[in-house]
Amino acid sequence: MSADTISMRDALYEAPGPKTRRRIVIGTVIASIALVALVAAVAWRFYITGQFAPQYWEFFTKWSTWNYLLSGLLGTFEVALTAGAIALVLGVVFMLGRISKNKVVSTIFRIVIDFFRGVPSLLLIYFFFLVIPAYGIKMSSFWMLALPISLTASGVLAEVFRAGVNAVPAGQREAALSIGMSEGKVMRKIILPQAVRFVIPSLISQLVVVVKDTTVAYVVSYPDMLQNARVLITNYDALVSTYFVVAIIYILINFAINQASIYVARRSGTRVISRNQEDPV
Amino acid sequence: MPDIETTAAAAANEGAATPIIEMSHVDKHYGQLHVLNDINLSVEKGEVLVLIGPSGSGKSTLCRTINRLETIDSGEIKIDGTPLPQEGRELAALRAEVGMVFQSFNLFAHKSILQNVTMGPIEVLHTPKAQAEEEAMELLRRVGVAEQANKVPAQLSGGQQQRVAIARSLAMHPKAMLFDEPTSALDPEMINEVLDVMVELAQEGMTMVVVTHEMNFARRVANRVVFMADGQIVEQAAPDEFFDHPKSERARDFLNSIKGH
Repeated sequence: MSADTISMRDALYEAPGPKTRRRIVIGTVIASIALVALVAAVAWRFYITGQFAPQYWEFFTKWSTWNYLLSGLLGTFEVALTAGAIALVLGVVFMLGRISKNKVVSTIFRIVIDFFRGVPSLLLIYFFFLVIPAYGIKMSSFWMLALPISLTASGVLAEVFRAGVNAVPAGQREAALSIGMSEGKVMRKIILPQAVRFVIPSLISQLVVVVKDTTVAYVVSYPDMLQNARVLITNYDALVSTYFVVAIIYILINFAINQASIYVARRSGTRVISRNQEDPV
Repeated sequence: MPDIETTAAAAANEGAATPIIEMSHVDKHYGQLHVLNDINLSVEKGEVLVLIGPSGSGKSTLCRTINRLETIDSGEIKIDGTPLPQEGRELAALRAEVGMVFQSFNLFAHKSILQNVTMGPIEVLHTPKAQAEEEAMELLRRVGVAEQANKVPAQLSGGQQQRVAIARSLAMHPKAMLFDEPTSALDPEMINEVLDVMVELAQEGMTMVVVTHEMNFARRVANRVVFMADGQIVEQAAPDEFFDHPKSERARDFLNSIKGH
């Protein structure tokens, strides 16, 4: 990172003075003590309720356990990536409809976007699981999960893309029009590529939401990681330990996705954000 | 306006050739504000017309109506005898024939310098890529930024960016070029490198409409100076005549106010 980039904290707040710094130190110490006490209390409760007993943990030393969890994880990835890919495409389509100069088209897409943004994905999953089959449309559990998740995500992504499009300076469009490009071409070649770069971090964060949405797979009995974890729990009667391990895996995955978004944001940020600076390097 | 007849047009071309740009009775409002008030103006082939006037006088708006980046309420604008289409393919085709250089350069931020210049020829004129790149390099050499061809716009100075923007317009082989305050966003030491390119263009016979505050440029290069105030063309004359003997009170006031600097 170059030296001219300042952190959000530096940009928004004054540098702390001596008094504030002392207060920060005291606050940090108190918070740390509280945190340690909390963790200790939890561990203590675990201990006295026998959660550390070997029977709850030793099946994690077996390969078959991990094999089963990882095959669930693969299912999670499959649904998340499929839903994410569909949501990206639909998001762009919805956004283009939303910014249409045709009032009717833009109103329709606004309603569509607001609907999918507002409706909980679980409700849509129930709809795909219970209502649609009643009309004779057969669908695998994979699609009963992937489609509703992608639809709710696409509503959000449409607004993310729209924000990106609005962030591209009007001059870019004017310059492209002035060399004779059609409106459609201006959107494809000039506006969208820049808009996407602006919103890459938000897009990746939305992928975290998609990954978390897949955890309701049990509704349609799709074998994702959480569903497989529930099977393990039944087999070994080990609820706390299994959920504990699975939670950590989810956290690690989403942490990795977030790190990726930060990395991408930095990489593209240096290239795009400093557009009219005289001497950015 | 009685004194709107083109006086200095003779400087460019004898005979009654069709003007490259012809505006008649053009009106435009922004709500209550009458930004363009019965504008009649024609620009002959090879003519360099400089638009000056106080800020808010409508000169930028006038410039932008010529390729319909601003719409007009009434009146007519013709480019090389063809009325400016309102939309679609025809409008795009006509825009392709009129180059435009903006105050804020507006280079495509996600494209290299070379791609900025080849974009129009490749996407609009369907020139083969190799040929477009060859022509683009030639143009970049002409404006003196060929070494920067593979950089992105943000890596260039303002003056360099504006010269690339001029090359980008030239790549379309325009019939005329519009310059909307091309040096207003530049640091003082970069203004001349852009003006030099513009002077060269003028000497090569390019038809130009230039909105600017660079009075020396106007005096040196313009065939005709058009002075605007409050959305109207108040006065137009050859540069020496205009700067030395302004007829209207408003032009005198304006010239005095900028002389103070």
